[in-house]
Amino acid sequence: MDLKFENVIPNPFANIAFEKNSFWGNTWELKKGERVLLNASSGKGKTSFTHFTYGLRNDFQGKILLDGQNNQNLTILEWTKIRQEKLAVVFQDLQLFAQLSVNDNFLLKANLTGNFKIEKAKQYLDYVGLSDKWDQKCGILSMGQLQRVAIIRALLQPFDWIILDEPFSHLDLENASKCMELINNRCDELKAGFILTTLDSINSISFNREIKL
Amino acid sequence: MFRKLLFNHQDIKQLIIAFIGAFVGITFLVTSVHYLVRVNEFGENTEILGANILVIQRKVTSSSSLNLTKTDFELKEIEKMKKEPFVEDVQAVVSNNFRVWLETNDKTIPPFKTDVFIQAVDKKFLDVKSEKWKWKEGDKSVPIIMPRDFVVMLNTFMSASGIPQISDELAMQVKFKLRISNGVSQEWVDSKIIGFTNEIPALLVPEEFMTYANAKFTDGTTGKITQLMIAGKEGQFGKLEAYMDDHGLESRNSQVVVSRLKSIVGTLFGVISGISIIAVLLSGLVLIQYLQLLMAQNKYEIRTLLRLGYAPNVLISSFFLYFLKLFVLISGLSFASFILLKFLIDEIFKTGGIYLNESLSWTSIFALALSLIIFTASSFITAKKGVLSLHNK
Repeated sequence: MDLKFENVIPNPFANIAFEKNSFWGNTWELKKGERVLLNASSGKGKTSFTHFTYGLRNDFQGKILLDGQNNQNLTILEWTKIRQEKLAVVFQDLQLFAQLSVNDNFLLKANLTGNFKIEKAKQYLDYVGLSDKWDQKCGILSMGQLQRVAIIRALLQPFDWIILDEPFSHLDLENASKCMELINNRCDELKAGFILTTLDSINSISFNREIKL
Repeated sequence: MFRKLLFNHQDIKQLIIAFIGAFVGITFLVTSVHYLVRVNEFGENTEILGANILVIQRKVTSSSSLNLTKTDFELKEIEKMKKEPFVEDVQAVVSNNFRVWLETNDKTIPPFKTDVFIQAVDKKFLDVKSEKWKWKEGDKSVPIIMPRDFVVMLNTFMSASGIPQISDELAMQVKFKLRISNGVSQEWVDSKIIGFTNEIPALLVPEEFMTYANAKFTDGTTGKITQLMIAGKEGQFGKLEAYMDDHGLESRNSQVVVSRLKSIVGTLFGVISGISIIAVLLSGLVLIQYLQLLMAQNKYEIRTLLRLGYAPNVLISSFFLYFLKLFVLISGLSFASFILLKFLIDEIFKTGGIYLNESLSWTSIFALALSLIIFTASSFITAKKGVLSLHNK
């Protein structure tokens, strides 16, 4: 699935003049498999971008096309299919279920498509240093631990794109690198791309396109 | 896992209150609807007179006793009565114009003999299915329909004589003889009871027999019409009763009492039905409100599952199936309680001498099914609305 953003401007930014290289107000085409870094300081609309693209908000001008189809015209069933098979996401507020264990949070995602073995999720968790957290409730984990769990959960589905909204904001460099490695490996496996929003360029992130908001 | 996630925030107290409300409401609704039907049916097809048919006569007053006012009906009057909008038909009750005695003719019971009064009414007013209800000249036996009071009197006599009392079935096996006479000649006719009535205080014989006997044994006087059979139109009993009051007419008390009793008990069950419907609706509202509250308390979980890619229908089904199971449980318990209540109420009616049809009424089953359908449909609509309102949020 290719993505195209045609002159997208959040409604609150409607009266702002954007530069030619800004993501907002210009047209951008992203091909499946590209690894994109969306770099912006606070308040520039990183989370708005994630929500617009994922269909959670429509308070913007312009068009977002998913394989040529305006994402505001998609039906409920089309959105369900896209979220199961085409678009994975790590929200900034992570959206985990605090009352469920890490294992149950993974199962909820893995069971949706059934094409990801839960044992592999356990290997991912081991890799990011959380092997002892498998049966612990998410409610008692730290933000850094939760970020790693949320990233792994997003990888448990098939996707063409994974959108990550400041996924490493609470991670040290070592854990961020490990998570980035998992993301890259999974993208390689699926021939998929990612769009990662961040406050600053991070050395551990290997990308082939950087866009400023 | 869904249950663990979506039904985590539950106010069990509110659920129990709504459950009890719905259970009590549905139980009383089904019970009252059942008895509304059965009480309305009471008396139908069990008596020889069709529905809405009364035997009427003039009220006997001091002046009529002194022959100052008449107690009979003229043909002109009958024709006028037929034209009333609430009257279906009016026919004279034909009485005997000769003397009649009824006596037992059976060795199994002691001899018993009494003067009786016989009457015949138009067949269309009778609901007698018995094939035995016919007579033609030359027949050796005449069928009779006996006033039930007569059996009571007969049993009183039997009891006083130290003889076991007889049931309706046994009374129908006893052989009787009718002796008819005009003082000059007389004739004996075998006779057998083929049924009983609470509504006519005289022995009923087939019209053909009455015509024959009146012609043969008349005492020379012209028979006066003192009683009429009147068929009121469906649902206009009140108007007929008012007409009777205005014209100094009366009916046998038991008929009016049964109609009034049915009306009172029917109204009572109608009121209970009304209250039950309100209770069912209110408890339904509480349950639906509970579902709304449950969804509001689990808003984060629903929204996140939708964001993860769960189809809204999967979540709607989870809530719907939970409430469907709840409603089926409530309906099942209500039905079981209804059966128990029905058993107790039927026994109370029986103690009071009222034998209602004990089979389950389809209307009560329909009321139960309708409550279940309304509850489940409401929960489905609420669940659908609640889930879809969180899609793409």
